[in-house]
Amino acid sequence: MDALLDVRDLAVHYRTAAGPVRAVDGASFTVPAAGIVGLVGESGCGKSTLGRALMGVLPRSASIAAGQAVFEGRDLVTLSPAERRKLLWRRLAFVPQTAMNALDPVQRLAAQMQEVLVERGGLSRAAAGARAVELFAMVGLDAGRLRDWPHQFSGGMRQRASIALALALNPALLIADEPVTALDVIVQRQILDVMRDLQSRLGLAMILVTHDVAVVAYACDRVVVMYAGRVVESGPVRAVLEAPLHPYTMGLMNAFPDLERAGGELVPIEGAPPSLLNPPTGCRFAARCPFAVARCEKDPALLEQAPDHHVACWRAAEAPALRPLASEAATWSR
Amino acid sequence: MPGASAMRRRPLPGFVGSGLGFLRKQPFAVAGLAIYLTFILLAIFADQIATHDPREILFRGAYRVARYLPPSATHYLGTTAGGRDVFSQLVHGTRSALQVGVTAAFFVVVIGTLLGLLSGYLGGWVDRVIMRISDIILGLPFLPFVLVISALTRPGTTTLVASVALMLWPNTARVIRSQVLSLRERGWVEAARVTGCSTPRIIFVHIAPQVAPLAALYGSIAVGWAILTEASASFLGFGDPNAISWGLMLQDAFANQALSRGVWTWFVPPGLCIVLLVLAGFLVSRGSEKLLFPKLGD
Amino acid sequence: MKRFAGRIAHAAFVLWAVATLTFLLFRLMPGDPTLNFLSDSFSEEMRADLLESFGLDKPLPEQYLIYLGSLLQGDLGVSFLQKRPVLDILLAALPNTAALTITALVIAYAFGIIAGAFLAFARGTVTEGIAIPAALITRAAPEFWLGMLLLSWLSFAWGIFPSAGANVAGSEFTSEWARLTSADFLWHLILPALTLALYLQGLPLLLMRATMLEVLNDEFIVMARMKGLSRWAIVMRHAARNALLPVATAFALGLGSSFGGNVVIETVFSWPGLGRVLVSAVQGADYPLAQGAFIMIAAVLVLMNMVADLLYAWLDPRVSVGARR
Repeated sequence: MDALLDVRDLAVHYRTAAGPVRAVDGASFTVPAAGIVGLVGESGCGKSTLGRALMGVLPRSASIAAGQAVFEGRDLVTLSPAERRKLLWRRLAFVPQTAMNALDPVQRLAAQMQEVLVERGGLSRAAAGARAVELFAMVGLDAGRLRDWPHQFSGGMRQRASIALALALNPALLIADEPVTALDVIVQRQILDVMRDLQSRLGLAMILVTHDVAVVAYACDRVVVMYAGRVVESGPVRAVLEAPLHPYTMGLMNAFPDLERAGGELVPIEGAPPSLLNPPTGCRFAARCPFAVARCEKDPALLEQAPDHHVACWRAAEAPALRPLASEAATWSR
Repeated sequence: MPGASAMRRRPLPGFVGSGLGFLRKQPFAVAGLAIYLTFILLAIFADQIATHDPREILFRGAYRVARYLPPSATHYLGTTAGGRDVFSQLVHGTRSALQVGVTAAFFVVVIGTLLGLLSGYLGGWVDRVIMRISDIILGLPFLPFVLVISALTRPGTTTLVASVALMLWPNTARVIRSQVLSLRERGWVEAARVTGCSTPRIIFVHIAPQVAPLAALYGSIAVGWAILTEASASFLGFGDPNAISWGLMLQDAFANQALSRGVWTWFVPPGLCIVLLVLAGFLVSRGSEKLLFPKLGD
Repeated sequence: MKRFAGRIAHAAFVLWAVATLTFLLFRLMPGDPTLNFLSDSFSEEMRADLLESFGLDKPLPEQYLIYLGSLLQGDLGVSFLQKRPVLDILLAALPNTAALTITALVIAYAFGIIAGAFLAFARGTVTEGIAIPAALITRAAPEFWLGMLLLSWLSFAWGIFPSAGANVAGSEFTSEWARLTSADFLWHLILPALTLALYLQGLPLLLMRATMLEVLNDEFIVMARMKGLSRWAIVMRHAARNALLPVATAFALGLGSSFGGNVVIETVFSWPGLGRVLVSAVQGADYPLAQGAFIMIAAVLVLMNMVADLLYAWLDPRVSVGARR
């Protein structure tokens, strides 16, 4: 498999008065040239930071401390800002969370389209106008809405507009940060359908950052599970979700309702992710893991347990036996 | 019900909790407080610090009034055109400045907070009437109004303080009102209402302490406004002619050609004192602003 | 449109309330208004005549109606001391005040906006450590004292600028416009305008800096960076455009309050504007003129408050254009 993006041991630290907070602490995964990769984990486990680090827009207090992220043969970490700017939006684009302010509130959508198409894409104003109409049609928006201001759009429409903007220059990789989190379930599905459809039609790669396993199950081809700044499990969606090898993945699946059918008991994972200021040694999930044993005090490596299916757990080989236990609520309430 | 006790608990006003770290973290506010303290000491010990009676007309030799004397060991800042000691006037001017500033700020805070609380908590016609009145006052030009009032009544400190308070309360009231609007929906206020607290009790016991820091913030700005207004009114000749104030000193200097004569020791110091005292209010409010609204900071 | 009409109605209400308040103020104050405003040298007969000519012999409600009626017709009465219609005197002073206020505000806001935006990028630097206290000091200084300093320095000590007035005494001009654009007028304008600008620039500077810092944290700015837009495009087209909204409002508000606030600056520089007219009318007990000047200054203030509101709505599509789903 030839990877479009190969992230190796990436570490992102926030400087604080109390010391560095290791938001991403040695994360490794690959993104193939086409398909949707879900990056999933609870809030505060570093997945959004990772997305921003790849785009090069970390807050001033954060920086990439180690590792590499090779995209189309070039390491994004060591790229100069000028070199990175050449890639941004042309090869590498971003779909933000449905927050109100991701679109400039005082500019019409047409102007925000024009800006990207003319200034970054080098199109003439006329060509940009035609392209904007085309892009709006692609995401299912009426061309007339180009004249509107962002606040006149509903949440779902704003998300469609953001996707249209991201696709403007035919990027190879789209990073979508919680693109459907603020939307209701029906609109979530519509947006995910649009993303799936565009992905297969345009043949591009997407990283879909989400905290919701159901979104991954519905829309992704591959999944990368993050916990406390590290990747704990990754592989094809089918393999990972049908036969999870890491107890955290098993727990996550209990904790979210299915996007397609309601019902089923929801079992939360007790506790919260550890502080990333002084992360515990050994397996970081051990403190919350119902299956933790003495060995878990040492760090498990991310290993290929099954073909194309990586996991970082000492008891991965016992997973088939642990899975039935993990699906019982009593296991998780200690 | 496990949540009930948490719901009823009222958070401490922010300044109590973080008061200790204040001195270290807020150099601005500390500088402001230091300036206030200096001027308060000057005002209290004005009689001891001043070298002369600020009203006394000094003579040189037998019958020559000691006008425009340059600074010297006896007259630190020289003398005025009327032969009075500038330094002594400056020191005594502190008293009237603080008096005007503090009393005006007091009334601004009391009126503004009271009307803001009533307007925000009661709503309805009370709110509408109070907000209409504040609209009208905001439509009155500030200094011209103070001048006209001073001219139509007896000019003096009382008139000045009253008109400043009358003109400035709407700003405070509006801010307090919007604060109250959000506070009245909070858990502990709700709980107080459900348990049958009387309306005055809710307003003054449960809500008022929460808006007190904000009111104090507007008060420290009002001190500055009142002092500036007093100075402007005195400069234009609408102050208390018998008072000894920095504004009057400046008017005296301006009217007696201190500018063309280049007697800068006469007209620079009073202005500097005004700047320092008003600045102190800004510094204190900026410092406590960070304390009150931490998210405005870093 | 509905909002527009509503705002105009509100301004009209405030204006009416201010006019009424002015009426009451000048008539209900302790003592006879003529005692306040007329000198002792008047005989009883002259006083009665005067009361009659101003309608002061009629009952109060009737006086009020007459007052409102003539106000609506733009009739502000006749100046007691100058024996000219009040409106003529005010209209002669208005251009001077307008020229001073607008010039000063434009200088202050042009400087304040640029410096404020610049300072938003200079967090934690020495420049910031000096500039913020400096801006606070200019806000804390009495305007007239700033004027006195500049006068003594640039006018009296160095003799660069004239110390008083708007024109060299005795100069003649073919029209008001010719006067306002003459080199002589502009030469006289520099010092008072600079003083006022120095006093006013602190507000836009601090406001621009604060809103700019807020906007720079907004998600759409991060998005603009991700789009690989140039720094210039990010700062000017996205950050500044958004940060300017409250500053533009402050400009309109400042225009309104400066018209009245200029009283002291106009006195220091003997600038023949509305503020001076008001001060000398009040000092000279010229009651119709003082009342007229006060109402005119208040009217400008109310009008500019309204303009500020409408301007904000117009500049911010979130307010002016309703949601459409």
